Amino acid sequence: MVPVEFYFVLACVMFMLGLFGALFRRNLIMVLMSIELMLNAVNLVFVAAGRATGNVDGQVMVLFVITVAACEAAVGLAMVIALFRKYGTINTDILRLLRG
Amino acid sequence: MPDFSLLLTHGIFHILAALITVVSIFVVASKHPVKSAVFLVIDLFLLAAVYASLDSHFVAAIQVLVYAGAILVLFLFVIMLLNLQPEQLRGLKFSVIESGTLLISLIGLLIMIFTSFRGVQTGLGDGTLDVQAIEAAGGNTYVVAIKLLTSYIWPFELASILILLSIVAAIVIAKKDKKVLTSSPSGQS
Repeated sequence: MVPVEFYFVLACVMFMLGLFGALFRRNLIMVLMSIELMLNAVNLVFVAAGRATGNVDGQVMVLFVITVAACEAAVGLAMVIALFRKYGTINTDILRLLRG
Repeated sequence: MPDFSLLLTHGIFHILAALITVVSIFVVASKHPVKSAVFLVIDLFLLAAVYASLDSHFVAAIQVLVYAGAILVLFLFVIMLLNLQPEQLRGLKFSVIESGTLLISLIGLLIMIFTSFRGVQTGLGDGTLDVQAIEAAGGNTYVVAIKLLTSYIWPFELASILILLSIVAAIVIAKKDKKVLTSSPSGQS
């Protein structure tokens, strides 16, 4: 088997790319897709660590993470639609109601 | 001959890792959200290949079915529904200081992972379910299903309630009811 830290490094690169997108993109849909990328990195860590230590609990956790990701995508995209209907844009430079 | 199979496993992993990294960069850096979503689908398929190479066949199948089949279709639906104008599709906008800080933290995190996981035993650790034991117990899907429906039965039921809640919440948020949605923030601004 490939050493487990290689999988961790790959997951780390994916997580940092997702964080980069979530912080610096100005489109709300792009922010949501970057969050999906970060969740996938976490899934990779679960599966690789579970395989390396001889457990299947990591794979069960991945199923729960996928469930939560589906719920998050549904609610987040509904909020994107509501925001677009109300303000006509999903640019986070314009949507700054919560900014101080 | 075992040396050759080990080399093949390493080669497949490194090719997949390089492809995943490049496609993830395209996901983050594409200007148009449709291109980004398509690259994300490719990324999820490559991750399913990595899961299959880790002998996690059930997770690989779920990854393709749920993630690439359902969630990304939802994303594509919303992207098509909003019909974004070209001036809203600006690409990356970040300063040199921000991106430099993120790059330095990435390098530091990589060094930390490589040094702290060097001594980790990659064989059979504290668990007892290595590949041979899983095959003897009836296969990956069987073992995961037994675990999911015995030890994790309450989180499983809670996940079903969470899905039901998110369905209701998505409908309530996205429906076209002006009395509920517009609670007049114009008085403050």
